[in-house]
Amino acid sequence: MSQAQNTGQVMKAVIRIQRFNPDVDRKPYLADYPLDITDDTTLLDALETIKNELDGSLTFRRSCRHAICGSCAMNINGKNTLVCNRRVKAFLDGKGRVTIRPLPYLPIIKDLVVDRSAFWEQYLRVKPWLIPPASYNENQAPNSEFRVMPEEVAALKNAETCIMCGACYSACSVVGMNKKYIGPHALLKSFLRVMDPRDSAPAERLENVGGDDGVFRCHTIFNCIDVCPKGLNPTQAIETLRKLAQKRRDFEAARVERQKTLEADHV
Amino acid sequence: MRVFVLQRVTAVALVVFLTLHMIVVHYPPGHLDFSRVMVRLANPVWKVIDILFLLSVLVHALAGAYAVLIDAERIMPYKRILAWGAIALGVVAFIYGTITIINFKVLV
Repeated sequence: MSQAQNTGQVMKAVIRIQRFNPDVDRKPYLADYPLDITDDTTLLDALETIKNELDGSLTFRRSCRHAICGSCAMNINGKNTLVCNRRVKAFLDGKGRVTIRPLPYLPIIKDLVVDRSAFWEQYLRVKPWLIPPASYNENQAPNSEFRVMPEEVAALKNAETCIMCGACYSACSVVGMNKKYIGPHALLKSFLRVMDPRDSAPAERLENVGGDDGVFRCHTIFNCIDVCPKGLNPTQAIETLRKLAQKRRDFEAARVERQKTLEADHV
Repeated sequence: MRVFVLQRVTAVALVVFLTLHMIVVHYPPGHLDFSRVMVRLANPVWKVIDILFLLSVLVHALAGAYAVLIDAERIMPYKRILAWGAIALGVVAFIYGTITIINFKVLV
């Protein structure tokens, strides 16, 4: 049963999708799929309906349908976003048409599925995991948590809700020019670790992101902010990392002092 | 990081120098004629200002061009050559410009 039959007034729409099968096609092309939609039909609903009822060969990634897994980021009418929580109606142009393409700047595997290897490689470059204080013994369960101040937690708010969808990465013009650039997603994660008082390697992180492929490569174009489906601000995080990278020794010294109080509370 | 900082420092300097330049060259108070321009250009204080202006423009422009060029992945491996080329170009342009500025004299 198509989504159009579920709720609301039915209207006509044309879903224009970029198709590409590397085994058959020499280059990507656009295909139109007329569809009945309602006010509530999401872009993912439309893709599912096309796959189930019109063309079973259509390929795309999706998983949670709740804008939390980050699988379904695509390029809609030229702008990256998630398709699971965006309604078709909001994107229709004057001809009742919406165009769906894969994320730009990334190699296409098939149709709307892109190769995210570069995205994950850059993510791992910044060591996105927490490096705990020296007193932490991973072989012995701690009796209490490391207590972090509310204002320190608030500083992490900008970064901790990233769902790694890749919308910012593939909207970044610098990434388009240079795949060695760390990218806004990984720099945001690095910001999260640098600002976390429990992390004991901020200077190492700042040296890493302050290198040739890091924060000084950003041209402050703001594409990452513009497309982030979670409303995060990677550019602000990059600006903060730029400032800290220039005084990383002082920042490291302050962190050492802060961790002494953390460890005193931690039994 | 050094290129980034240099470009920001020279950008701030350019705000000052460009403001001065616009006022003095394009919107000068009072009557403007050739002899007054020559008197200003021959003034040692203005020579220092013009030389610093020239230095700021060169550093800012070359640092900016360098930063944009090494954005391209293909150019990145040659960034040292590019950096030395920019420095050489900057030095030549600075010497040429400085000689020009220093040589202004009031015509008798």
